[in-house]
Amino acid sequence: MKKLIALALGTAVLLSGCGGSADSDAAEKYGSATLKLYNWGEYVGENLISDFEQEFGVKVIMEYFDSNEMMYTKLQAGDAYDVLIPSDYMIERLISEDMLQTLDLSNIPNISNLAEGVKQLPYDPDNTYSVPYFWGNVGIVYNHNNVDPADVEKQGYNLLLDTDYKGKLYVYDSERDSFMMALKALGYSMNTQSESEIEEAYNWLLQMNDTMDPAYVTDEVIDGMINGNKDIAVVYSGDATTILAENEDMSFFLPAEGTNLWSDAMVVPANAENPLLAHEFINYVLTHDASYDNSETVGYSSSNQEVLDEMSGADGIYAQNEAYLPRTEYAKDEVFEDNPVLKQKLAELWIKVKASH
Amino acid sequence: MEKKQKHLFSKVLLGCTAVFFYAPILYIILFSFNSSRSLTKFAGFSLRWYEKMLSDSTMMQAVAYTIIIALLATLISTVVGTLTAIGLSKSRRLMRGIVEQVNNLPILNPEIVTGIGLLMFFSALGVKKGFLTLLLAHVMFCIPYVILSVTPKLRSLDPNLADAALDLGATPIQALWKVIVPQIRPGIISGALIAFTMSFDDFIISYFVTGNGVNNISILVYTMSKRVNPSINALSTLVILLITAVLFIVNIIPILKDKKGRKLT
Repeated sequence: MKKLIALALGTAVLLSGCGGSADSDAAEKYGSATLKLYNWGEYVGENLISDFEQEFGVKVIMEYFDSNEMMYTKLQAGDAYDVLIPSDYMIERLISEDMLQTLDLSNIPNISNLAEGVKQLPYDPDNTYSVPYFWGNVGIVYNHNNVDPADVEKQGYNLLLDTDYKGKLYVYDSERDSFMMALKALGYSMNTQSESEIEEAYNWLLQMNDTMDPAYVTDEVIDGMINGNKDIAVVYSGDATTILAENEDMSFFLPAEGTNLWSDAMVVPANAENPLLAHEFINYVLTHDASYDNSETVGYSSSNQEVLDEMSGADGIYAQNEAYLPRTEYAKDEVFEDNPVLKQKLAELWIKVKASH
Repeated sequence: MEKKQKHLFSKVLLGCTAVFFYAPILYIILFSFNSSRSLTKFAGFSLRWYEKMLSDSTMMQAVAYTIIIALLATLISTVVGTLTAIGLSKSRRLMRGIVEQVNNLPILNPEIVTGIGLLMFFSALGVKKGFLTLLLAHVMFCIPYVILSVTPKLRSLDPNLADAALDLGATPIQALWKVIVPQIRPGIISGALIAFTMSFDDFIISYFVTGNGVNNISILVYTMSKRVNPSINALSTLVILLITAVLFIVNIIPILKDKKGRKLT
């Protein structure tokens, strides 16, 4: 279905209309008392929205998407939202297509709470357009009873080619994440455009598919690892946090060859109807209490330094959880760049990998 | 002996089919009472997901929208579809052929195409997306199914019935309501049922045409991409109970009526 949507995107670009008008019962301060938030499903703290509504006397209208591409389609069609929470590469694309507003940072004083690790991300180094919401890495979750930690540390992503563990691994069914680990295993940049490097990565993945008997999964990997159905999986650090919290046999490792540093960030689209309230919301999410609620409910790493320290500190709820605190300042970790042509190519190669045998 | 074996085989087959159909539903009902977050490991009995579902206003709103939209879309598409089918049965062969082909298009068209098409259509017109656009889209994709299920019933209908009714003094509306509709009622009911189910669980088209916070159950579940919230098990259980209750009532009322009728005579 994702591919179909990608195809349809091309046509969607042709048209952009205008959204509806704002609510009439406008709050004096913001111009309107409603905030339209477009977010991933199940990606917000339990009480965050209701607390925000109460504190500021406004109404939040929530809509959900399940992929950046889906969100992009609706945005292209002219649907108006006040705050979106897309991922790094999608923000890069939205910026390049002039679909975002520049933020007035004087209205977001809590930006000073930002965690060190999410400052100066390459797609928006000065937070001109975006303020990070959640962030993390991608790493290997493994069962330390069945997999030798020394093997994991020595081999990194090449662990996925170690036939000792044949039939014991989950692989996330996504071209982006699979090629990321193959390219990193080979010591290349995950944003490479070199034909020969991609070819090598393709062969790496082919070898994995043919010799390791991997199980291709999406989000069921979380439940699968919690129940210990397999011994090895490459997952987002936020999901790893949940897995480690529920199953103490599991450990988390970030390969020395480097990995993906990702961030989902709040942005205000150009056609937002209530940018003032949008700034207020972004500022609110950066407060300690809101960010704590977010991180506690979802399990992903907070973009608030204080919350990050508190949760990973000695008394924090993720104190013993090595997946919670993302690795920063590691030269070999990279952020995805937006490149639709490359993504399409990787998608085709990925299908070929899975079809071989 | 051979007959008995055949009998046994068909029973086993029936049993397997039943298990295949109902095991997933039972699984969902069981796990809606799970005390842990896991979707595959049962940790103990608890009502926490029901509690969470009922206190989750987004979820309850989605249920309300789903039911209201499904009922309205069924009602409107059944009326429009039935009238269209009756009208077509009286029109010229060429006209009928064309309209029937046009009617088949939305059914054969992939949902994603219809969805994106409607998205751009509503955007171009500058319509505010939300309840109305969602309802219109649902009516749009339900009508063809109603026409498709009513038309065969009309074909087997004696074309002189309407004339006879009119000859005997019925007004055109009476002829429609008292003569034609009762004859094609099974077609109308099956059309309405298909329309209801199509509307109730539609995701792709709904996703693209909705806006302003109007979500249905399918959108809510499909977009739980970051984490599946086990409350959906509780929600599914509720929906299953609701549908079972409706089916029970629909099936039991005619029987009761029948009994009553027999007693009177």
